[in-house]
Amino acid sequence: MPAAEFQAVQVDYAAVAPMLVVAAGALVGVLVEAFAPRRSRQRVQVWLTTLTLLAAFAVLLLWSRESMTVTLGGSVVVDGVSLFLMGALLVLSALAVLVMAERFGGVGSDAFTPMGSSTPGSAQEDTATRAGYATSEVFPLALFAVLGMMVFVTANDLITMFVGLEVLSLPLYVMTGLARRRRLLSQEAALKYFLLGGFSSAFFLFGAALLYGYAGSGDLEAISTAISTASGDLDGLLIPGVVLTMVGLLFKIGAVPFHSWTPDVYQGAPTPVTGFMAACTKIAAFGALLRLAYVGVGANRWDWEMGLVVVAALTMVVGAVLSVTQTDVKRLLAYSSIAHAGFILVGVLAFSQAGIGGVLFYLVAYGFMTVSAFGIVAMVRQGGSEASHLSQWAGLGRRHPVVAGTFAFLLLAFAGIPLTSGFTAKYAAFAPAVASGTTGTVLVVIAVLASAVTAFVYVRLIVLMYFTDPTGDDVVALVPSIPSTVAITVGVLVTVVAGIIPGLALDLASSASEFLL
Amino acid sequence: MTGGGEQVLFWVLGPLAVAGALGLVFAKKAVHAALGMALTMIILGVFYIAQDAEFLGVIQIFVYTGAVMMLFLFVIMLIGVDSSDSLVETLTGQRWVTALLCLGLGGILASAMGQVTWGEAVGLDAVNAETGNVSGVAQLIFGRYVWVFELTSALLITAALGAMVLAHRERLGKGPNQREWSRRRFREGENLAGLPAPGVYARHNAVDTPALLPDGTPSPLSLSRVLTAREQVLSPDVYLEAEAAIEREMTEESER
Repeated sequence: MPAAEFQAVQVDYAAVAPMLVVAAGALVGVLVEAFAPRRSRQRVQVWLTTLTLLAAFAVLLLWSRESMTVTLGGSVVVDGVSLFLMGALLVLSALAVLVMAERFGGVGSDAFTPMGSSTPGSAQEDTATRAGYATSEVFPLALFAVLGMMVFVTANDLITMFVGLEVLSLPLYVMTGLARRRRLLSQEAALKYFLLGGFSSAFFLFGAALLYGYAGSGDLEAISTAISTASGDLDGLLIPGVVLTMVGLLFKIGAVPFHSWTPDVYQGAPTPVTGFMAACTKIAAFGALLRLAYVGVGANRWDWEMGLVVVAALTMVVGAVLSVTQTDVKRLLAYSSIAHAGFILVGVLAFSQAGIGGVLFYLVAYGFMTVSAFGIVAMVRQGGSEASHLSQWAGLGRRHPVVAGTFAFLLLAFAGIPLTSGFTAKYAAFAPAVASGTTGTVLVVIAVLASAVTAFVYVRLIVLMYFTDPTGDDVVALVPSIPSTVAITVGVLVTVVAGIIPGLALDLASSASEFLL
Repeated sequence: MTGGGEQVLFWVLGPLAVAGALGLVFAKKAVHAALGMALTMIILGVFYIAQDAEFLGVIQIFVYTGAVMMLFLFVIMLIGVDSSDSLVETLTGQRWVTALLCLGLGGILASAMGQVTWGEAVGLDAVNAETGNVSGVAQLIFGRYVWVFELTSALLITAALGAMVLAHRERLGKGPNQREWSRRRFREGENLAGLPAPGVYARHNAVDTPALLPDGTPSPLSLSRVLTAREQVLSPDVYLEAEAAIEREMTEESER
């Protein structure tokens, strides 16, 4: 019996070129691990990774921008939103990689253990450090994570979205467990993240299966059509499907009540990885959530919108209130990231094009702040280990005015003080929500109150840095190398510029805020 | 409609598959959990075959049960069957809360899905007759879903890389060779002839039984420390009784 003629799918290579560049860079990175001599690996990997990300960004600007299309049989959609998010992911991950490369005079990256498999605190760990070992595998892993994030924001059907989710998560689980200091905490964080992440992926998959059963297809467009034309026989599958897929995405976003991993993982992971996760994972997950909510299941949003509203309100309140009680800088920033996730959800719930623009702008502004902030947290040390306890930050402003000043500025940006990108971002996300109706207005009121609570936390930290006597003399801010200085400076500059002259970035975000369907 | 035979098959094997999955979650020993999972996987394969997806069913059994589950067992063997996790719960009462929430979620899902009016099952007959079972799968994998198929390679590379980063322990420096061991023994003046061999008895040689010193006490030095750590060491008493019996016999013989 002759098989039916095979029809290969059409591939618009220009559209997917950025992803192909990142994938190729990651594969070359794996080969570098296999063949390059140990001494030169770190240097080669840093160059390779940074150049790959910049090349992918250049390709995105030059080629992909010209070919906005649905390609690869409907698996990939390159439209304004996904182009904007891919570009943001590439730039932010390039900065995060520069922070990861910080060596502080050592052989390998300062943040990563020389040998992941050695028992924490063992003689073998010391020997590995002295022998000049370094876990330079984190750079190809980071590239794979970026690839997964790009797939996630361009995914146009639920299967691609699921695989993208896995491709972005798996490297992050591994990278979380590789901290050089407090390794037991790091390994515990990695295990928690892995187990809970696997669990949430299973929820997503279950939901995707239900939606497939409902629409007879995993394509978001087909699901949307099915919702508007359905006879009602299969309606019992729709709401559980939507809820379960959203649970999977909200987990990655870190929204309450799916947030419990965030503080532990943010604290345990190597600090530059925390910055990378906080900035880029959030972008990727919100990109996917936007697409699912607007393109896929937007047609019946009246049925599930209220649930998302409750989640957004809870996220803001819990994130803001619990950040008050934190005594660790990394945990504090983790709870602040939960609160920010709530603020961004307010923008998502506006269900308007302006809302999408606001969300895009917020994601980018938050990303630049976060990468820089965690870059600075990694610099403050006491006795060789990271001084992440708040009491250790007391009086930092007197001895290291530049570092403390930069951090204070970033904190003000987190708080959303005018003349920082944080203010513009909040305005861009909240204004469409107010315009959207009563629910949106109520959410914005909650958001402003939560912002006030978080602002109190940040200001308290600034007061601690400037107006409190130092507890010990040995808390120092190390002098960063040129790459991480560049990364932090770029992050701060963007925060300043987007705060003072927001027009350019806002225009870009709002011109990109259209889905291609 | 599904045939009567298929109905029987489903109602017999379905509960077994669920039991296997529950075993995976609740089994105390890793090997039992792995076997429970293998059972579920095989039954899923049978279901696929019963629904005319022969290729998928066979692949399911080959790949999951044959390859993945065996790898799983290898890993358990390498880690050591005895390495079990501490099962102390730090959050008291979470089991009950979890069970309650699970039941609630299950109830909501069941009630939502109970309202569904299912249409006629399409089945794979048409596809199998027209495209063929294997080429139908191939059309999907290399056609519509080629992007996903290629992406899974990124997943596999990440998994391999991650496993190596987390588990591969390189030997740092050189271990001492036999000559250096021997020199060290003489320098330290202990166990000049090496450690004593484990128990050798009249009728038995046993690695897991300690050798006896001239005064009759067991020598812990003669045992591998791995066996000691696993508490798999036997007492020499059994063999001593046998020895005593032989000696008694011999004395009786000589007296006769």
